[in-house]
Amino acid sequence: MAVTPVRSNGDDPHWFRRSVFYEILVRGFYDANDDGTGDIAGITAKLDYLQWLGIDCIWLLPFYHSPLRDGGYDISDFFTILPEYGTLADAVELVEQAHKRGMRVVADLVMNHTSDQHPWFQESRQNRTNPKADWYVWSDDDQRWPEARLIFIDAEKSNWTYDSLRGQYYWHRFFSYQPDLNYDNPEVSDTMLDVVRFWLDIGLDGFRLDAVPYLFERDGTDGENLAETHEYLKRIRKEVDFAFPGKVLLAEANQWPEDVVDYFGSGDECHMCFHFPVMPRMFMSVRREQRYPVTEILARTPSIPEGCQWGIFLRNHDELTLEMVTDEERDYMYSEYAKDPRMKRNLGIGRRLAPLVENDRRIGELLHALLFSFPGSPVLYYGDEIGMGDNIYLGDRDSVRTPMQWSPDRNAGFSRADFAQLYLPPLMDPVYGYQASNVEAELRNTSSLLHWMKRMLEVRKQHPVFGTGRFEVISAENPSVLAYVRTGNDGDIVLCVCNLSRFAQPAELPLQQYEGKTPIELLGRVPFPRIGELPYFVTLAPYGFYWFQLVEP
Amino acid sequence: MTTDKLPDGVSEMVPAYLGRQRWYGGTDAPGPDQVSVTAADELAVSGEGDHRLLWVLVDVGGADYQLLIAERPNGEPAEFLHGHDAAVLGSTDRAYYYDATLDSELARVLLDLVTDGVEQAERVRPVTVEQSNTSLVFDDRLIMKVFRRLPEGPNPDVEVTEALAAAGFAHVASPVSTWRRDGHDLAFVQRYLAGGTEGWALALTSLRDLYASGPDDPAEAGGDFAAEAERLGVMTAEMHLVMADAFGVDGTGFRSVGWPRVISSIEQGVRKAVGAAWPGSAAALIERLRAVDDPGPAIRVHADYHLGQVMRTDEGWYVLDFEGEPARPLGERLTPSSCFKDVTGMLRSFQYAAHFVLLEREQHEFDRVGKLAEAWEVRNREAFLSGYMGTPGIDTLLPVGSENRAGVSLAFELDKALYELTYEQAYRPDWAIIPETAIDRLLSGSAPGFGG
Repeated sequence: MAVTPVRSNGDDPHWFRRSVFYEILVRGFYDANDDGTGDIAGITAKLDYLQWLGIDCIWLLPFYHSPLRDGGYDISDFFTILPEYGTLADAVELVEQAHKRGMRVVADLVMNHTSDQHPWFQESRQNRTNPKADWYVWSDDDQRWPEARLIFIDAEKSNWTYDSLRGQYYWHRFFSYQPDLNYDNPEVSDTMLDVVRFWLDIGLDGFRLDAVPYLFERDGTDGENLAETHEYLKRIRKEVDFAFPGKVLLAEANQWPEDVVDYFGSGDECHMCFHFPVMPRMFMSVRREQRYPVTEILARTPSIPEGCQWGIFLRNHDELTLEMVTDEERDYMYSEYAKDPRMKRNLGIGRRLAPLVENDRRIGELLHALLFSFPGSPVLYYGDEIGMGDNIYLGDRDSVRTPMQWSPDRNAGFSRADFAQLYLPPLMDPVYGYQASNVEAELRNTSSLLHWMKRMLEVRKQHPVFGTGRFEVISAENPSVLAYVRTGNDGDIVLCVCNLSRFAQPAELPLQQYEGKTPIELLGRVPFPRIGELPYFVTLAPYGFYWFQLVEP
Repeated sequence: MTTDKLPDGVSEMVPAYLGRQRWYGGTDAPGPDQVSVTAADELAVSGEGDHRLLWVLVDVGGADYQLLIAERPNGEPAEFLHGHDAAVLGSTDRAYYYDATLDSELARVLLDLVTDGVEQAERVRPVTVEQSNTSLVFDDRLIMKVFRRLPEGPNPDVEVTEALAAAGFAHVASPVSTWRRDGHDLAFVQRYLAGGTEGWALALTSLRDLYASGPDDPAEAGGDFAAEAERLGVMTAEMHLVMADAFGVDGTGFRSVGWPRVISSIEQGVRKAVGAAWPGSAAALIERLRAVDDPGPAIRVHADYHLGQVMRTDEGWYVLDFEGEPARPLGERLTPSSCFKDVTGMLRSFQYAAHFVLLEREQHEFDRVGKLAEAWEVRNREAFLSGYMGTPGIDTLLPVGSENRAGVSLAFELDKALYELTYEQAYRPDWAIIPETAIDRLLSGSAPGFGG
């Protein structure tokens, strides 16, 4: 585990387009001070592991001061770190150590709202005349903006909640304990820009901006994707480009791709946006054994401005999001992937990847092969690289937030605290429990999922075309076969062929435009027969896939 | 007669060549005296001036066929002919002759010619699975259908596709260019539906998954097809509404002429199918059809509508091939008919698919898998019909009243099955069991319901 003193992807201002992200729940990764809760120093302690795996950028879930009613997305002070997680000095150390290893660090930032425990809100609710009176969105009744949908349909009945102290209703798009900030107030918008500057100053490489579509409210609209919201994000971008070049803004906007592209602006808004709908479609394609769920969503994904990038993922800390599929498909996803109703929540499914695919390693590998070769930068969720499971009995979204399984030792090697002190119990079931699935064992076993993942990331890194190349689907008559070509400006061409079916499948691919080239399989560097003028014939094992580099003989 | 454009000796090669083509209507090669060359022309010269593209029209017992013949000098290799012996006409002492659609150089010349120089392509490949025409794909962007057997007057595929596209119907591949000569539609260029898959292949994917995974209810299988079937039903209804707009609605003619014809065709078909024994159920069925007091209006229909004629693409379903059933006379194919002709054509196709995959399995599995086959068929029938019947406006094109609807749909479903039986007995006897099963079911009244 040698330390490389250069930053991965060098000083390329577009580094994020070629990066693999790794999402970390600070609380759940590693406990460096034996108090039963993961901390920032714990992440620093495990940087060598992430570097070995081939991670380019760490994405930290919220680490700010918070009453933790919503996993830290209810921030009560933007300028301090939750004491359980450590200190500002720990954060500085993490960033420095990551940079030394050629990795970057981005962090969640919730712009839309604060915790109701935030001193700003506590002051704001006192009366209608205090200095922070206009920092939140208040109203005498709860009838305004009926067009705005309810996002947490399981938990909330209205976007308005009455505050008896102030005698008014306050606006919240999420939980009632998360009042929305009032961005029409210049003091708020200026202060939030100060928050951005503060963290970039200490060395963070950017932000994943949580829930950005809802910053502003306007009469007669659903309050999503408003022009004012885009204007404000452009203002942040301008500041970042001016004072912190090379830092990245990643927007979380769970919308249809044609609406999400607006968050790229014309290359002057966010650098990256998550592509939400492609994710459930990947699962659906594998279940249906046909490519259309995926190809149709990619076909309706507009192109994005130069220098921008999609963020794509299989699973994350939230539920498998189904807001972007049609009702009929949503019912289908529920019935396929959430046979147990406890797995449902809001509009998604709260499961980890391995149990979602019934621990079928072939499907898990196929889905990762898709993730690593689709247009966008892949985001891995901690633990998925070792096939971790979930605990659906933990309630809320904790089922996928159990401690990282480092070893078969006590507490999964996550913490040396007493078991009872752990923030959540580690998984202990015979299939996914830490005795069966942990980093130490998978490091020793070179045929493990972990080693497979590392090899895939190595290959991906050798071919920037996976991050930056054009994407073009190749017509295969066999609907179970998904084939596409990534083409880079540097002349690198990679052909990906995937079998979405449980059965072996043949495919004839019209590759005449590459006639004369030789496909070289990228994992083993095995040359395949030259492409001729006839359709190129390949056979694929169940859930099999190939990545071929197409080279001149 | 412009046969002077055809080199000596070539016309003698034509009869045997015809006999080897899938698109030739007869089962055996025609005799030399049955074939006459009625027109011939040199369309283009390329290569070093020694590759020629020849166009030939032949008459075989009153049927017109279009041939595109390539000429290359003897001794020059043509690797693309490897494995295509049937496409070679033969050679003279100077040159050899073969089907020009296999020659990418000449095929690209043909595209240029057919589109009047508007379209050029770098690559071309033939579409392999085809019966009655020859299709070429250019750059995965355009498809050219070269018609082989030429009807009198306009080709219905061209006619309908152009009309639907002009009416703004989004589910046909947009027409790009039509090549007409001597009163015939000879070739038709359309946008190619890149990444598309035939509905048939998609249905088989669903069925193979179901038969292997085996939940009792196909709704629980990963490869459930019902959502696709429902969207297909919607697209079908939209197609009919646009057809009705473009070609008109015959409100009364069907009742007096078309419908009695359907009944008598069924009567004959059943007699032929069941032989001497005329079961009581058949008589009852005919009685029931005669009891239909109004079979509803007629419109121009697709007339050969099944899973092989629809394509799933990233933009949803597309419909292809408006030529009608190849074994029926053209006049009959163009006659307006009930929408149920197409609807039941698709329903029949669901049974075909389910049974076809069943035949892939082992005999001892038939009991278990047979139940799944029927469950799959019923589920997708219902989904298709729910999409079709739920489309606003479609009511105006259907018979009024559930009795009439059930009667008309039953008639067309049976008529189609009887047509299939004749076809399978002639060409694919192993498959005859599929329509036979359906006919038994329809006669005994145990067929899945029409829903709606």
